[in-house]
Amino acid sequence: MMHDVWLAILPHLLLAGGAVSVYLCGAFRPGNQGLVFALSLASLVLAIAAAAVTPAMAGAVGLLDTGAFSRFYLLLLLAVCLGALLLLQRYAHLRRLSGEVLYGTLLLAALGMIGIAGASHWLVFFVSLELLSLSLYILIAIRRDQPLAYEAGIKYFVMGAVASSFLVFGLGLLYAATGTLAIAPSLAALAAKEDMVLSLPAFLLILAGLGFKISLVPFHLWTPDVYEGAPAPVTALLATGSKLAVIGALVRFFYAVPAMPQSLLAVLWLLAAATMLIGNLTALVQEKVKRMLAYSSIAHMGYMLMALLAGGRQGFTAVLFYSAVYGLMDLGAFGSLGLMSPKLRDLNDLQDFQALGYRRPWSAALLTLSLITLAGLPPTGGFFGKFLLFTAAFKAGFPWLAGIGLLSALVSIFYYQKVVVSMYLRDGRKTGRRVAVDWAGGVACSVIFVLLLWFGIMPAYLLSVVERALSLN
Amino acid sequence: MIVPFGHVLALGVLLFLTGACGAMVRRELIMVLIGVEVMLNAAVLVFVAAALHWGQVDGQIFALFIIAVAAAEVAVGLALVLAARNRTGAASRDQFSSLRG
Repeated sequence: MMHDVWLAILPHLLLAGGAVSVYLCGAFRPGNQGLVFALSLASLVLAIAAAAVTPAMAGAVGLLDTGAFSRFYLLLLLAVCLGALLLLQRYAHLRRLSGEVLYGTLLLAALGMIGIAGASHWLVFFVSLELLSLSLYILIAIRRDQPLAYEAGIKYFVMGAVASSFLVFGLGLLYAATGTLAIAPSLAALAAKEDMVLSLPAFLLILAGLGFKISLVPFHLWTPDVYEGAPAPVTALLATGSKLAVIGALVRFFYAVPAMPQSLLAVLWLLAAATMLIGNLTALVQEKVKRMLAYSSIAHMGYMLMALLAGGRQGFTAVLFYSAVYGLMDLGAFGSLGLMSPKLRDLNDLQDFQALGYRRPWSAALLTLSLITLAGLPPTGGFFGKFLLFTAAFKAGFPWLAGIGLLSALVSIFYYQKVVVSMYLRDGRKTGRRVAVDWAGGVACSVIFVLLLWFGIMPAYLLSVVERALSLN
Repeated sequence: MIVPFGHVLALGVLLFLTGACGAMVRRELIMVLIGVEVMLNAAVLVFVAAALHWGQVDGQIFALFIIAVAAAEVAVGLALVLAARNRTGAASRDQFSSLRG
């Protein structure tokens, strides 16, 4: 028993230890960027190894869920954080960002993410969510030379602090209504309650708090501003890790409550439809690429919510599969954007992308593939993932929702192609010299590139991993 | 409990609404932070009352954690506000409006 506890928390301990040692390194050996990078890389890799060798066991150890869903998201989130770390290295080095603060805080954010995705008790969930949010506030505003980064940090902070107080008050009402703080029993009790005086506000407040984190539509307004102001590799982490962590928690929430009351179902139906529609339609009219990608990530959360509503074996398979693909493609999109950005300002306007396909062929190729995946075109993982999502929704009796999603996904192809076209077609080859990719960014880029294609051409492997997770849970 | 559970809950809701109004309406960032603190304290009150109502200690532990998290949040928030103020001279929400679509 004791043995299990240590194994279950080993990744968390490694990340926390890594973060503390990186901060201490900053105190005693200031300015040693290579050392802090190596330390954070080592602690992430070790955490992944520890998570990979620990078998999933149904149930919980202490306040942590050790089931197959948590383990799937644990590995996925750690991999996403590793990707973000590799993509950050060159970016941070060129702009002289303080490595101690950057990497240490990144490790704490990773700790928060895996805590959210693996919590079986609201206390761990809340503390991890706050750990993630506080780390992200710092990471967003880490560029001292950019007033826009401060503005993005403050906007995210103000909205995030309000959202987390909504969440925690909702949890208070949930506790008052049900008398338990263990996640699955409390949600089941909430869904079964006849008397809605406490449970309806509790549900709505928790929904608002979580909806803010994954930017569902009425709570999405911060997303484009923050994504635009934050440094691109940090945006990559923000778009993938922090959202997938909450999705990972939502998978378990929906799994714990198979039969939801009709009224709640209707609310979530509306949110999913509005998120898909408004996300994609607003992305169409964006002039800035980062804002466009922000709205596209909003729309993707709508697709995921749709499949979560569909539920059942198919719905959960689709969400797990798409989570992996989504993590890779948004990491690839924002990561390659960060790699290609000039020192003073991140690429943002459509003109900035002109002829990049010739000056930065490798990074531009990754951006192109990520955009194709986001658009859901074959032969990428995005196509198969979207296919799973929409069939799951259709078969579970949400034909209208699936129809709305499908239509908006078709619309989305239009705005993704604008960026690709401007990278390759407009009066090419004229300007600039070719710039080589650094090793860390290169490794991350090639792995993401290969995986995106692999999951599209041969989805069987990822599908078998997902199915095994489902059958174990 | 001497005071009925419903009354404490009502007070909690009232406090929460006060804090929410403060956080949404006021423009100065410091006042927004104070509004958030009031909301978190409303949550603390509800947790403690619910813990007494259910005769458990879980809610009280949660309340302690909320207090700790609130302190951390204020630390990071104030640092951000201060850094932005030193850099751009702005301490009100209206002065942060360069990011828009």
